[in-house]
Amino acid sequence: MSASSAARPSSAAPASAARLGVDPHRDLSDYDPEADLMVLNMGPQHPSTHGVFRLKLHLDGETIVRAVPYVGYLHRGVEKLLEELTFVQATPIVDKNDYVSPMTNEQAINMAFEALLGIEVPRRARYMRTLFAEMQRIASHLLWLSTFGIDMGGALGGGTTLFMHCFREREWILDLFELVTGARFHYNTHTIGGNRHDIPAGWAKQVHTTLDLIASRIDEYLELSTTNSIFVARTRGVGILPKELALELGITGPILRASGVDHDLRRDAPFHAYDEIEVKVQTEPDGDCLSRALVRVREMKESIRLSKLLVDGIPEGPICGARPIKNPTQFKAKEGQAYVALETPRGELGTYVIGGGKNKAASPYRLKIRPPSLHALSALPYLLPGHSISDTVVILGSLDPIMGEADR
Amino acid sequence: MAVDESDRNYEHPLYSMPGLSVAATSVDKLLTWGATNSLWVFAMATSCCGIELMATAASRVDADRMGTIIRGTPRQCDVMVVAGTITVKMAPRVLKLWEQMPEPKWCIAMGSCAISGDFYRDIYSVIPGIDTAIPVDVYIPGCPPNPEQLMAGLIRLQEKVRAVRGGEWAPKDERPETEAMQKTAPSIPRLLSAERSPDVTLAQLLGAGNLGLGGALNRAADAPPLAAPQETSDAITTQAPTETSEGAVESPSEDEHADA
Repeated sequence: MSASSAARPSSAAPASAARLGVDPHRDLSDYDPEADLMVLNMGPQHPSTHGVFRLKLHLDGETIVRAVPYVGYLHRGVEKLLEELTFVQATPIVDKNDYVSPMTNEQAINMAFEALLGIEVPRRARYMRTLFAEMQRIASHLLWLSTFGIDMGGALGGGTTLFMHCFREREWILDLFELVTGARFHYNTHTIGGNRHDIPAGWAKQVHTTLDLIASRIDEYLELSTTNSIFVARTRGVGILPKELALELGITGPILRASGVDHDLRRDAPFHAYDEIEVKVQTEPDGDCLSRALVRVREMKESIRLSKLLVDGIPEGPICGARPIKNPTQFKAKEGQAYVALETPRGELGTYVIGGGKNKAASPYRLKIRPPSLHALSALPYLLPGHSISDTVVILGSLDPIMGEADR
Repeated sequence: MAVDESDRNYEHPLYSMPGLSVAATSVDKLLTWGATNSLWVFAMATSCCGIELMATAASRVDADRMGTIIRGTPRQCDVMVVAGTITVKMAPRVLKLWEQMPEPKWCIAMGSCAISGDFYRDIYSVIPGIDTAIPVDVYIPGCPPNPEQLMAGLIRLQEKVRAVRGGEWAPKDERPETEAMQKTAPSIPRLLSAERSPDVTLAQLLGAGNLGLGGALNRAADAPPLAAPQETSDAITTQAPTETSEGAVESPSEDEHADA
């Protein structure tokens, strides 16, 4: 629990530094024919792919020579579907995109529509949205940590120990959301112009109790992971993503911050209530799996601090700035376009929307979602070659992809 | 879509031998007991419902207590839980995995996407329900269903397995769902539950065990008495939205989890 436990374990030179600069389009026809080259399909149904994701691995013995990712097993045509529906009907659909943090998805789509329609959000609603986003970040990172523990083969105590512990904490956050919205997830609580459900009486006190408890547990997990030699051995120097490559691939969020880039939209392009509070951005210089793990665990602690500030500072006032929704075609957009980007637990989630004007006023003419997970997956052909096959799930798990968002 | 089960036959030909029927019946009872209480789940988790499937196996709801554990390979499993949207690209893979599962096997369609496709039904890349590809035994509605609802569905499947092995049709479910939900109430009560007072302090939460079993949330015997839960929790629950289905969930009595 000491402050030193947050420090990174002293590191030797990363073992896989020589593996950088791999070519994802490598032609294997010139490969040594005597070598034991083999093609292995991983997925689309595999418990460690975090959804339905397929990797084609070319192996030389146990070493990966080339990796080809395939996406699209969960393509649900969300963008096209949203063009068919009206602005009001969009919120419950985008909940299912990034199903580990639905709150930030709702925010993104409603912020884009508000920018297009020119609707102001009241200050109370902005605070509530920010608070929900920060609590959702804790829940999302807890789910990542739990599945990462399974990916590591139960390095933190064997089997599913970490999974059991993290899910226990996550349930408490879902309980708090359930009190506000009535749903465990897929909340449908954001609407155009503000929020749909107000905070019930006595909720703030429960938030404080729950977050105090989770904070003490996270300290424990941080110490468990950084002092566990198996955890450190399997993550340090594994899957190094250099800063330049991360920027080139458009990777954002904790993965970019773990590569040493000090970039966080909550601080750099503040939205909602982030301009009124100070976000301490967590970075790590090395860009390996351990850095990504540490950044996420520290972000949880930072989110707990922010949530406590926000829940105390929620101002009085209305929670919705627009008229109550009476019919689905209530909001009419003029011709125009809007792009809104915000920081989700996985990175920059962009929503680009074009208003149709007279002919198609009540629904988006075109809608494009920029998912952070898809960009994170695009790093796999660079990260995997040179590593052994057992490192695959660790590297994939450290990227925290959500296929519902990547495939849309 | 109704599933035609008339060709399913679970009677071994040896059973018709004279004198063997008594022994065979006893053995069959034993096998039925084993089969119903070790329904291993193959998680065909594609999207959101998969997270609730994980939550069912995790600490609060704990599907282990009825012998249900999640396995990663179809060859060890009895039940395929289809959790999430099945796309045209994914459906042949689901079918292939279903064929790899050993008989007797069962299927649960979890969530509205697996049942009918939900609002993705008309999308070009989504199939309208998994029962267009494989036979489904139990449907669990919801988007996504709560872990308790999945547990209730598994209990329902146990009833069906018992009935089918006895050579009968599974009885129609006449009970209100609350009764099944009461059986599956989580061992750690939710915040919405009257069991859990909003006045619980951090010290009390940490009191019974720190990295322990979460038993602190149930009132430990040595914990100081809490405020009466009824008045305090009313302030919360009355303001919560009415569409919550979890209001129907009732926690088990204190005796059942006092040992946690």
